Amino acid sequence: MKNAVYLLSIAVLALGLYSFEVRNENKLLERTVHAQYTNALTSASETLSTLQTSVNQSLLFQDQNALNKELDNIWRLSDQLRASLSGLPLNREVANNWMKYIGSIGEEARLAAEKGNYEAWHEKMGVVGSNLRNLSNEWEVATSRYFENDGDFSKWQRVLNNETEQDQFANVASNLKTYSETDFPLTASESDWLKKRELQNLDDKEITKEQAIDVLELLIPNIKDAAYTVTKSKDTAPYPFYHIQFVKGSRIGYADITVKGGHILSFLSERPVQEERNISEQDIRDLTYQFMRNAGYEDVEIIEFRENHQVYHIATARVYGEAFVYPDGIQLKVSKASGELLGLNAMEYVQKETIKEQPVKAIDWNKFFRPGTFVEEERMIYTENDLFELRLCYEVIARYDNELNETFRVVVDAETHEVIKVEYMR
Amino acid sequence: MVMVRSILITFVLVLGIASSIDQTKEAHAFSGRLLERGSSGDDVIELQARLQWVGFYNGKIDGIFGYGTYWALRNFQEQWGLDVDGIMGQKTRDTLVRASKFNRDWVHKQIAQGNQFTHYGNTPLEQQTKAGRGTNGGQGQNNASTVQLPVKYSERDLQLMANAVYGESRGEPYEGQVAVAAVILNRLESPDFPNTISEIIFQPGAFTAVADGQIWLTPNDRAKQAVLDAMNGWDPSENALYYFNPVTATSKWIWSRPQIKQIGEHIFCY
Repeated sequence: MKNAVYLLSIAVLALGLYSFEVRNENKLLERTVHAQYTNALTSASETLSTLQTSVNQSLLFQDQNALNKELDNIWRLSDQLRASLSGLPLNREVANNWMKYIGSIGEEARLAAEKGNYEAWHEKMGVVGSNLRNLSNEWEVATSRYFENDGDFSKWQRVLNNETEQDQFANVASNLKTYSETDFPLTASESDWLKKRELQNLDDKEITKEQAIDVLELLIPNIKDAAYTVTKSKDTAPYPFYHIQFVKGSRIGYADITVKGGHILSFLSERPVQEERNISEQDIRDLTYQFMRNAGYEDVEIIEFRENHQVYHIATARVYGEAFVYPDGIQLKVSKASGELLGLNAMEYVQKETIKEQPVKAIDWNKFFRPGTFVEEERMIYTENDLFELRLCYEVIARYDNELNETFRVVVDAETHEVIKVEYMR
Repeated sequence: MVMVRSILITFVLVLGIASSIDQTKEAHAFSGRLLERGSSGDDVIELQARLQWVGFYNGKIDGIFGYGTYWALRNFQEQWGLDVDGIMGQKTRDTLVRASKFNRDWVHKQIAQGNQFTHYGNTPLEQQTKAGRGTNGGQGQNNASTVQLPVKYSERDLQLMANAVYGESRGEPYEGQVAVAAVILNRLESPDFPNTISEIIFQPGAFTAVADGQIWLTPNDRAKQAVLDAMNGWDPSENALYYFNPVTATSKWIWSRPQIKQIGEHIFCY
């Protein structure tokens, strides 16, 4: 009996020590996280106040240099503020609204500096400056309790888990939503872009589930007679589609096919590694064109070809005249071992871009690039600029003549000669 | 005495055969397939090492046939009077094999050990290796890349996303894993979310796997493949920005989001 009591006492003591250690460790972690959050909050609050001042200051200048300096500052501050906000445990709705509003200010500043559209900036920022002041004041009230030096971590936890209307950020959230809508309404190009993304303009005839399966079997005949489960997208989905899941032997996969018109949005199949059939890259290219012909994509060509461990990832684009329309792309995934089509993504291709006529002005690359840079390849492409407008561009592969032969992909607007994109190529 | 002589003869014969086998392996080490921009694997490692041996290639020996390898091969073809197309067919392969050496075991050992190394022919190999991983894609820095990604993504992005996908959805069908990866990438394009993959994943409260530590589990190959497919354009979520498990989700806000489709245990919405 004595021994049992002795053993029990030791066990209780050990347990007590253990829980004391764990508690200490938790406390230490809480303090560390609390410090990080407080630091992010301080940084966000200060940057918000500086941003508001900077927006107001930008209203002072007409001089281009002075204004550009301020616009650059605003763009940098907005980026910094977004980064600080993203590190705070705000609830999802508040965080998203903040990100959008601050991002819009930064984007507007960048575009104003780039396009020299200063009048529009001044016109818009009068209201934005005053709204930012309101937000800054509300933010100060909402966050004041987090600076209290009580180390109470549970406050932060509550912020993350509360519904918006329950917490102290309710006013900030509701104002942010309103200001976003009124201060930065969608431009025509942005709205077009969203519509395209949501495929709302499809007006083809609706197809049935059975017809959707026929479309899939036409693309991949070897899954004929698979076991299918077909469901329809949710009622709130921006465009209706059939979600087909299939199993045939070791092949398991899915396909999404639009209800209107029966267009394949995407398909993926997974299956175990197959027996090698010694297929060359050329065979894969030929097969790719064959797959696309089967699916009725007659106007696309391969633009990129990447070999990975078990598959090739292949990117294609629609050809219009002499140019490749990059936003109308189709991606394919083909098995290296057997040449079987394992995936196809045609979401962007489904709603083809409307192409407008655009003048093309020749460029003298010798003047455009510094000496020592060689244009190795050149082709015409259609791609979107910052304003989501489809532009005809030159795409060049430029090599800088140094030891590593560093290579860049440079996209230049064919009419304005504005540089749309520069990418370092491995 | 006769016995000793026959042993010696056998030994010399075995040595001769072994060395001829070795030379044969050296001469025909390439698998024989055509190599071009976009190719990857052991054949490309050999191509890069051989081009470096003869001084045409100064980049990293990583098994990825990118532009660095392409220009080096073209320069080699030009210098040797071959058709200059940047593609390694039989003629270029034979010429390169004759002009260079490839120490396969040594190169693969360096790669396996993550050493920084080069494979120039004019310096003893032992002087061309340094232990440990380099930090950037500079000269001679090594270990072979496992994947070729679209140019806007890095291998660090792939690793981080694979961790998130594995932690969030390892029990889900493959489609569901690709969809989770696609949600991360959709957030990258949305103005409502941070600007980098890391900031999106570690945004407080954004992913359960970050909160419960499951993001630090080692992802399997399937999760990496799912991320790779999403990076190459697949989006089974159909442009979703959020997903949730209807059995466990308690937030009123997430239930208010317009839903798109359900894959496995997750409802995807925007």
